[in-house]
Amino acid sequence: MPELRKDPVLGRWIIISKSRGDRPTDFPVEGYQEENGFCPLCPGNEHSTPPEVLAFRQGADAPNQPGWQVRVVPNKFPALIIEGDLSKEGVGLYDMMNGIGAHEVIIESPNHDESFIDLTPEKMYQVFKAYRERIRDLEKDPRFKYVMVFKNHGKAAGASLSHPHSQLIALPILPRMIVSELSGAKSYYRYKERCLFCDMIRQEIQMDERVVCQNERFITIMPFAPRTPFEMWVLPKHHNSAYCRQSDEDLLLLAELFSESMKRLAACIPNVPYNFVLHTEPLRSGGMKHYHYHFEIVPKMTSIAGFEWGSGFYINPMPPEEATTLLRKSLDSVKKEADEKDTAG
Amino acid sequence: MKKILLVDNEENIQIVYREEFENDGYQVVSASNGEEGLIKFSEEKPDIVILDIHMPGLGGVEVLRKMKMLDPTVPVILSSAYQEFKSDLGTWASDAYILKSGDIGALKRTVRELLGEIGAE
Repeated sequence: MPELRKDPVLGRWIIISKSRGDRPTDFPVEGYQEENGFCPLCPGNEHSTPPEVLAFRQGADAPNQPGWQVRVVPNKFPALIIEGDLSKEGVGLYDMMNGIGAHEVIIESPNHDESFIDLTPEKMYQVFKAYRERIRDLEKDPRFKYVMVFKNHGKAAGASLSHPHSQLIALPILPRMIVSELSGAKSYYRYKERCLFCDMIRQEIQMDERVVCQNERFITIMPFAPRTPFEMWVLPKHHNSAYCRQSDEDLLLLAELFSESMKRLAACIPNVPYNFVLHTEPLRSGGMKHYHYHFEIVPKMTSIAGFEWGSGFYINPMPPEEATTLLRKSLDSVKKEADEKDTAG
Repeated sequence: MKKILLVDNEENIQIVYREEFENDGYQVVSASNGEEGLIKFSEEKPDIVILDIHMPGLGGVEVLRKMKMLDPTVPVILSSAYQEFKSDLGTWASDAYILKSGDIGALKRTVRELLGEIGAE
């Protein structure tokens, strides 16, 4: 029997319609296409990108030269332009403004073939630190209200180059998704005087049906009403609405858990295309009692068609409880195989 | 005389660009698809390439990345009627991205800049 579930933050309904079986291999996954040719993100090709705005290097190499571990550059052909003043205009009932914003690319590794999932937690930490530093810097610009950090991996998820990279866009307006999340979280806070996400974490730990993994400071859960099979959220266990306020120590713990979560996903569904998005409070909010920053990881395993566009509903063929069980087992079986090989060797 | 390799599957573009650039004193070599463009890139050793993106067969971004593997010093201008290819990070391998329009002044200026005939604006 299909089941309707309501997301407690957005009030969005989804349909769990288990019709295709239990195995992750039942979902058609578009594998990564072989790529060859010149890569503008590789070391040695720094001249192909705009000058870097941030780079982490082990030595004292000059900027825009090889030797970097993580490199952040403005988008060469940005969706929004950083120069200029904001100019708002109304044409009858229609509102417009000029396309001011910052569009940057975070190059996550100098190694073209190293996917984000393959990064060690220490390397992933550098990427998370780059996100934080860029948000802190862009927050100083009063024109911007929000910084959206996101990653597309795999052609089906919108990635155009396989060199590991993520992107950020600083916007002069709040994205509708964030406005809806803030509104849902605020309504809950007004009613209960507690953070919805903090309550969610407490309940998920207590129920232990959708907790994929956790450490001392962070937790990965499958949401109660996921849009796609294997959707995961990574949240800090202690209340924090602003990603840019995370300490180095916490970012390392975040990287460790994020790495484990992604490795579990990859062990379960190799080469799965996915997106992840950082959801954090608007810039200069000063901390929100009702909101809780988190990452949403959404594997691209189902298609969005007429019903989804028309209704705003998502149809998910795998209950998150079953997906959680598979993810919990996935890496354990990989680890067990590796241990057995080590013992045999 | 500087040599331009023009890779575009639209015959009208080929005719117009050839006439314009030949009138300006350039030699123009044509290719009507990506595969032919790559062959002519190796054989003709052009000084600069004007490359369409949306072509049947091998797409312009793929051709661009192969050309830059063969010789990264040859400037390549992507020329497209579409903005949306800019979201493909493979286009970063290009030296410029020009939107096709009735006025090819911007394209001509970019060719001259990249060939060092005039300073960048």
